[in-house]
Amino acid sequence: MLDLLWNGLVNIAQWKYLLPLFAGTLIGVIGGSLPGVTITMTVIVVLPFTYGLDPLAGLAAMTGVYVGGSTGGLIACCLLGIPGSPSSIATTFDGFPMARNGEPGRAIWLGVWASVWGGLLGALFLVFLTGPLAAIALEFGPWEYFSLFVLAMAMVAGLSESSLLKGLISTAIGLLITVVGHDPIGSVPRFTFGSAFIGGGFPFLPVLIGIFAFAQIMTDLEKLNSPRGEALQSPAGVRLERFSHLKVNLEIFKQPFLLAWSTIVGLIIGILPAIGGSASSVMAYDQAKKFSKTPNRFGKGHPEGIIASEASNNANVSGSLMTIMAFGIPGDAVTAVMLGAMTIHGIQSGPLFISQNPDIAYGIYAAYILAHPCMLLICLALMPLMLRVTSVRMAVLAPVVLVLCVVGAYALNNTMQSVYVLLLFGVVGYMLVKLGFPLAPLILGLILGDQIEINLVRAIMTDANPWLFLTRPISCLLLLAAASSVGLAIWQHWRHQTRMAGEEPDF
Amino acid sequence: MSIGRDGITGLILLAVSLFLLVKSFQLPSLPIVPVGPGFYPAIVLSLMAAASALLVLQDLLKRRTPAGASDAPRRNYRLVVIAFAIVGAYVALLPFLGFRIATVLFVGALQAALDRPRTVRQWVVLATIALGTAVMSYFIFERYLLVLLPRGAWTGF
Amino acid sequence: MARTLVTMAGAAALLAALSAPAMAQYPERPIKMIVPWAAGGDTDNIFRPFAAELQKHIGQPVVVANVSGASGTTGAREAKAAAPDGYTVYAVHDYIHLTFYAGISDVKYSDFEPICLVSATPSVLTASAKTPWKNWQELADDAKKRPGEITVGATLGSTSHIFPAMIEKAAGVKFKFVSYDGLAPRMNALLGGHVNLTDSNLTQKGKVEAGVLRYIAIASEKRDPEAPDVPTLKELGMNIVYEVARGIFVPKGTPAPVRARLEEGCVKATKEPSFAQAMKVQGTRVAFLNANDYAQFLARIDNENKVVMTDLGLIKK
Repeated sequence: MLDLLWNGLVNIAQWKYLLPLFAGTLIGVIGGSLPGVTITMTVIVVLPFTYGLDPLAGLAAMTGVYVGGSTGGLIACCLLGIPGSPSSIATTFDGFPMARNGEPGRAIWLGVWASVWGGLLGALFLVFLTGPLAAIALEFGPWEYFSLFVLAMAMVAGLSESSLLKGLISTAIGLLITVVGHDPIGSVPRFTFGSAFIGGGFPFLPVLIGIFAFAQIMTDLEKLNSPRGEALQSPAGVRLERFSHLKVNLEIFKQPFLLAWSTIVGLIIGILPAIGGSASSVMAYDQAKKFSKTPNRFGKGHPEGIIASEASNNANVSGSLMTIMAFGIPGDAVTAVMLGAMTIHGIQSGPLFISQNPDIAYGIYAAYILAHPCMLLICLALMPLMLRVTSVRMAVLAPVVLVLCVVGAYALNNTMQSVYVLLLFGVVGYMLVKLGFPLAPLILGLILGDQIEINLVRAIMTDANPWLFLTRPISCLLLLAAASSVGLAIWQHWRHQTRMAGEEPDF
Repeated sequence: MSIGRDGITGLILLAVSLFLLVKSFQLPSLPIVPVGPGFYPAIVLSLMAAASALLVLQDLLKRRTPAGASDAPRRNYRLVVIAFAIVGAYVALLPFLGFRIATVLFVGALQAALDRPRTVRQWVVLATIALGTAVMSYFIFERYLLVLLPRGAWTGF
Repeated sequence: MARTLVTMAGAAALLAALSAPAMAQYPERPIKMIVPWAAGGDTDNIFRPFAAELQKHIGQPVVVANVSGASGTTGAREAKAAAPDGYTVYAVHDYIHLTFYAGISDVKYSDFEPICLVSATPSVLTASAKTPWKNWQELADDAKKRPGEITVGATLGSTSHIFPAMIEKAAGVKFKFVSYDGLAPRMNALLGGHVNLTDSNLTQKGKVEAGVLRYIAIASEKRDPEAPDVPTLKELGMNIVYEVARGIFVPKGTPAPVRARLEEGCVKATKEPSFAQAMKVQGTRVAFLNANDYAQFLARIDNENKVVMTDLGLIKK
C-alpha cells in the first residue's frame, strides 16, 4: 500500500499532472473566496478541459479545485464576514471578529494552516481506511440519518449565545424555510398560496448568502453616522498586523485534541452522502465550543473556532472522496462531476475501482495530498493582495460584494428566482439579527431541513414500526447522544445565566 | 407587566406558525405514502409555536429596566433603507436592462448613496469603479465560468 | 440622488437605442442549453458531451445551464418562459409527461417545439446483493408470497417509479415503494440493503461485476452487448420495453429557419463517432429522430404514460 502511494506521489510529481493540479487549486482558491461562486460551479469550469487530457490530469485538476475551494472560502469569511463558500460558514463566527480586532492576517493564516493540517490528517484516513469507513457509511439507513440529524440539531441548540429559546426558534425557522415549496417526496406544493415564486422553494445558497451578506453589510452601513462621516472604512479595519507562521502553527498544535476531533467530525460528515461541508463546519465548531475550557470567548475572535471549522471542512473533502473511491457513488455535486469525468474516459467506477485502476486511484490520493502544499503556496502568493481588501472603502466594497452575491445566486440555477430569494432573505436575515436571533442554528436547520424530512418519511415508508429508531443500535446511540447534548447545553446555559444577568439587546 | 420587543416578535411568530399549522393539515396526501406532506411541517410548526409561546411568556415575566439611557451609538437607519431600496431596484430592473447596464447603474448609485462624490475627479473614480465591476464580473462569469448572465428584455443587451 | 437618477435614465435610454436588435444569421451568440437536473447526474452526463458536439456543428458555444429543482419542474418552467429565439434550448426526458399527469407541473410537452431525439437509455431492474434472489423467477416467487413487502427505491412519480410499477402490473405482484430521489442515493441504499430493488442502468456495471449488485432484467428490445448475461423483460414473458428517451426542445414560437438550423446541427452531432463512444460509457444508445418523427414519438409516449399513470392511480390531470 505504501509503495503504491509512493508511486502515486512520484507519478503526480510530473509536470503533466502537477500543472493541472496547481491550476485547479488556484482556480479553486479564487472561486472559493468569491461569495456566491460555489465549488461545484468551479469544478464544472475545469470539466471541459478534462475531456482532452489524460484522465488522471483531469482528476488531479478537479481534486485541486475541491481542496482549494474548501480553503478559499475562509478568506471572504475573515475579511468580509460573508462565507465565500457554504463549507466555511462557521469560520465567519470567529474569523471575522478576529479580523475586526485588527488581526486579519492571523485569522486567515490560522484558517489556512488548520486547513492544511486537517486535510493532511484526513489524507491518512483516506489512504489507509477508505474501505472499512465507507462500508460503515453504507450501514446508515434512513433511521440512522434521521437520528444523526437530530443529534446535529441538538448540538447546535447549544450554540445560541443569549437565549436558548431564541436558538430553538431560529432552528425552527431554518427548518420551516426548507418546507416551503414542493415537498421532496411527492412534490405536493406546500404553503405556496398559488404563487409560482414561492412554489420554486427557497434554495439553500441564495438564502445563505442573502442572510449573511445583507446582515453584515447593512449592520455596517447603519454605523456610518453620516454619509460623509470619518467611519467610512472597510469592515475589517485598515491596519495590517505583523504575524508569524510559526506562532500560528504553535497555536494550532497547542491543542492536538481539537485538531484531531475536528478532523474526525469533518471526515464522518464527508463519508455520509448528502450532508456536506457546511454541516461539518458548523458541527465541528459546536464540538470545539462544547469541549473548550473557554467557551465564552467563542464568537468574539477565538482561534479555536477558526481551527475547528477549517480543519473539519478540509477533512470533509477526504471523506467525500472515500465513497466514490470505494463504491463509485458520489456524495455531493463535486464528486458527481469527478465521477462523470472518469466515466467519460471509460474508467469503470465501483468497488473494484481501486484494485483495477491502482495508478488512477493512488494518483487521486497523491493529488489530494499534494494539493495542500500547492494551496499553501497559492495562499502565500495571493494573501498580500487579498488583505488589501481590508483597506477598501465601504462605499466601494458594499456594491461590489452585492453584485458578486447577485451574480452568484443567479449562476447557481441560472434563474432570476434565486436572485429574488437572495433579496428576500437579505431582508429577513437583517431583521433576525436586529431582533437578536442567532444565525448558526438557523443555518443548520436550513442545511438539514429537507434531509431530516426525507429520511423520516423514508424510514416510515420502509417499515412502519417507529421503535426501529431505538432498536437499531447506531440510531439508538445517536439519539442518546442527542439527549445528553441537550442536557449539557441546558446545564451550561443555566450556569452561564446564574453568573450574569440577562441584558436587553440594543436596537 | 408590559410587552417588549421579544414578546411582539414571539406573538407574530406564534400567529404565523398556528396559521401554517392549520394549512398543513389541509394538504392532500398521496395514496402510496403512509404519511402526508403535512406530517413533517406539522411537527416543525408545533415546535415553533411552542417555542414562540414560551418566548412571549418569558418576555412578559422579565423584569424591565426603565427604557432610555441607552449608550449605544446612534444608528443610521436611513442609509440602510436607501441601500435596500437601491438593491431592490437593481434586482427588479436586472431582467429588463440586462446584467451589464443594470450593474453599472447599481454600483454607481449605491456608491453615490453611501459616499456622495463632490469633485469631478471623485465622479470619474465612481464611474470607473462602476464600469469596471460590470465589465470584470461579466467577463469572469460569461467567459470563464460559462454562466450566461441575464440579457435585457428592453435593451437586448 | 436626483442627479444620479437622471444620469441613470439617460444612460439606459442611450444604451437601449444603441443595441436595437438586428436579426442577423442565427446563431450569432452563445446558446444556453437548460438541463433541468443537477450537474453530475445521468441527464447532465449525457447532454454535456452532446452540447460539445452540437457546438462543433453550429459554430457558437453551447453552454449547459443546470436549472434543477422540484423534480425537473423548475427547469421546464424556465425553458417555457424563455424567449423563442433559438438561444435557449431545453434538454428534456420522459419526466415531462409524468410530472404533468402527476399534477406536479403545469408544463406539458406540447408547450414546446421538438427539435430532435438524441438518446435512449434502457432501464435495468437491479437488486441488492443482500437479497437472496439470483434471477427474476426467484424474485417473482418471493414477491408473490410476500405482497407489499419487497421495497423498491424510486423517485415517486418519475421514470424510476413507473418502470418497476409496470413490472408489478405485468407480473401480478405488489412492491412497496420508498422515496429515493436520484440514482446516487438509490445506489447507496441498495448497497447498504436499505431497499431491495431499484431501477438503474448499465452505468452501474462496475458494482455488478464486484458482486454488490445484481442485474435482474433489462427493459430493452434485445439483450445489450455490454451486458449479454442480463435477460430482457420480453424474454421473461413481460411485454415491457422501457427506455428513458432524451431529446431537445425549443420554446413554442421559435421561427422555423432557426429550428431547421438546430435540427441540422443535431443530425451531424449525433452522427459523430466520439458521441457514440460517450453514450456507450453512459449505458445509453444514440437514438436520433428528426423533428417530425420526434413529434409523433412524443405524442405516442405521452399517451402511453397517461395510461400507465391512470392504471397506477397517480393521475391528477
